[in-house]
Amino acid sequence: MGFFSKLFKSEDESMILASPVSGTTVAISEVPDPTFAEEILGKGLAIRPSGDVVCSPCDGTVDLMFDTGHAVNLISDSGIEILIHIGLETVGLKGKHFKTLKESGDKVKKGDPLIEFERQAIADEGYNTIIPVVICNSDSYSKIVPITGKDVVTGDRILSVGK
Amino acid sequence: MKSFEYTVKDEMGIHARPAGILVKQLASVKSSVKIEVKAKDKSADAKRLMAVMKMAVKQGDTVTVTVEGEDEDTAAPQIEQFFKENF
Repeated sequence: MGFFSKLFKSEDESMILASPVSGTTVAISEVPDPTFAEEILGKGLAIRPSGDVVCSPCDGTVDLMFDTGHAVNLISDSGIEILIHIGLETVGLKGKHFKTLKESGDKVKKGDPLIEFERQAIADEGYNTIIPVVICNSDSYSKIVPITGKDVVTGDRILSVGK
Repeated sequence: MKSFEYTVKDEMGIHARPAGILVKQLASVKSSVKIEVKAKDKSADAKRLMAVMKMAVKQGDTVTVTVEGEDEDTAAPQIEQFFKENF
């Protein structure tokens, strides 16, 4: 990026996360799981999904695709460490109802599908399907601004970070 | 330098939530803390959340935890106790 584009660009796209899934955004404090609500895994937000595919919120690398498919860690090209966790306690499903589409180490572009999940089947088994999206290296940023209480489609901006 | 070994008993291993709880627990420790699974030739800075999750420690894995720094004498037994109670 050249000097002038930097100068005139009002915001840095690399510091913005897109929604990984369609749904409604909610504050992380509303997630009924203290690990997320108390920000033990980092600051962020959550999405009550209406879709069934989790896509990459940014250009980056799949740092860890959980072999159970219920969560994925990504590192954006700008260094943001992101955990996307599909549902609560869903580690207990041991991979059932999840299909991983990428592997650890894969380079991804914003919007690339990462995981398919059977939302209704997961709900039918008694799991909350809310999807927390948290910044694991929250301490690296002076501000993390989630956009909550909004209906979004995959790719809509949901969060920005500032150094 | 202090270290201990612990074999993980939790059926799910150290996945996202336990990793978060561990990193939070270690936030008050001044020493550096390294976690290793020697059998799988993997190691990580135990204070870095994504690094700990990436270890994907499973039930039955023996981890070696090494504490090195000014508060290692007090921190190491506390961390060992934490592993026993949580993993």
